[in-house]
Amino acid sequence: MIRIIGVHKWLGGRPVLSGVDLDVREGETLAIMGPSGTGKSVLLKHIVGLFDPDAGDILVDGISVPSADRAEMAAVRTRTAYVFQNSALFDSMTVRGNLRMGLPPGFCRGRAAKCEELVRAALDHVNLEPDVLTLLPAELSGGMQRRVAIARAIIGKRRYVLYDEPTTGLDPVNATRINRLIARVGEEVDATSIVVTHDVESAFFLADRIALLSDGVVAAEGTPHELRETDNRAVREFLDAAPARGPA
Amino acid sequence: MLGVATLRALAYPRRYALETVHHAKFIGLDSLPLVLLMGALSGAVMAQQTMYQLSPGLPREIVAGGVVGGMLTELGPVLTAVVLAGRVGAAIGAELGTMKVTNQIDALLTMGRDPVVELVVPRVVAGTIILIPLVMLANVMGIFSGYVTSVGILGLSTAEYVDGAKGYYHHGALVFSLVKAVAYGFAITFISSHVGLRATGGAAGVGRTATRAVVAIIVSIMVLDTVLGPVYKTLT
Repeated sequence: MIRIIGVHKWLGGRPVLSGVDLDVREGETLAIMGPSGTGKSVLLKHIVGLFDPDAGDILVDGISVPSADRAEMAAVRTRTAYVFQNSALFDSMTVRGNLRMGLPPGFCRGRAAKCEELVRAALDHVNLEPDVLTLLPAELSGGMQRRVAIARAIIGKRRYVLYDEPTTGLDPVNATRINRLIARVGEEVDATSIVVTHDVESAFFLADRIALLSDGVVAAEGTPHELRETDNRAVREFLDAAPARGPA
Repeated sequence: MLGVATLRALAYPRRYALETVHHAKFIGLDSLPLVLLMGALSGAVMAQQTMYQLSPGLPREIVAGGVVGGMLTELGPVLTAVVLAGRVGAAIGAELGTMKVTNQIDALLTMGRDPVVELVVPRVVAGTIILIPLVMLANVMGIFSGYVTSVGILGLSTAEYVDGAKGYYHHGALVFSLVKAVAYGFAITFISSHVGLRATGGAAGVGRTATRAVVAIIVSIMVLDTVLGPVYKTLT
């Protein structure tokens, strides 16, 4: 379980997070939704220790991330996988090299066959053919890069998969494909997923629960149905302003 | 902090050995033509300037002494390092800078991997080791081109050049050359890695990072050249 407790963060002289409280339950898909610039990605990065909060705490399976020592942080990071907004594939490595990096350090040493088997299985999960294994990220389309990034995140069978704006920058067709992929992968690898997005269609399609981040706090939280029905002003403003993309 | 992390990571050679070989090829083999060219040109210049400025009134063998001494103690290591500052330092700074601004460093961290072990140590180890043969080859090339220049243009005989070279040569100068090679190899790769990992901004930021890396390396080479001066005295 991931618990976010009263997290405050200032960046560039302004408050980005002003006391965020949020629990992520085992096995669920939680979408963190909100307008651009409200600190959704910043919050996600706190969970894997890329940011330290100015105040508050983040607990991953009981480990306090901000005060974790090296061993504890290693434990947190072996349980979490992070899919970056820009995919963040290693551009000097082939797809195969990128996928191998998703496995624990040293895993492939002396286990080449097992390693290759996992690489191909991960690729199969995201509906990519093995002939992309030798390609560099620059030789892939944006949608394929995103799928390789997801494959890299799930290959190590981490307990928590964190998606940072997984459909941003993709055309509607590819965005829909990625949403379906995330939904399917979440079920197949039995992972708890947190999806940060400003895309309302994605959030409602993917999430078991949705949290709306507004003005640095969780303004509303609930199931997609509850959020659609709520009178909460922040939710209504956000949903009414969101452009429709069509069914995911 | 990066220095401490680098030293600590050195204790696990199996984790960076393969990458080190890859970087040794890039830093060493791929730089070799340029290093040899610079060595040849500096040996030729050294022979000419020694002849024109010092030989009137002094034995002509001093030309060889000037070439051997100049190459081993200064031109060989310093010019090789300057060449690598431009070629390797800029490349490492830009590569790591790009990785930083495109979240690839963060991606490494989230995978539980240590960017110092994965990225910095292989480059630093490769650079520190590979500068030794590169500087030695630059020295040999410079001394040989000094010979060609002396005999072919300046009118020295082979015997005069060989006698002059033998007369000057001592092991201390060679060791001094090796000490400088190691120090410069470490400085080039460590500084460029350090600067690269602190990159901010987009493409412009990466460009600034590459420039900053080269400037910092060249300044450090000259500072090290000055600081290491007294080492020569202890070796002779």
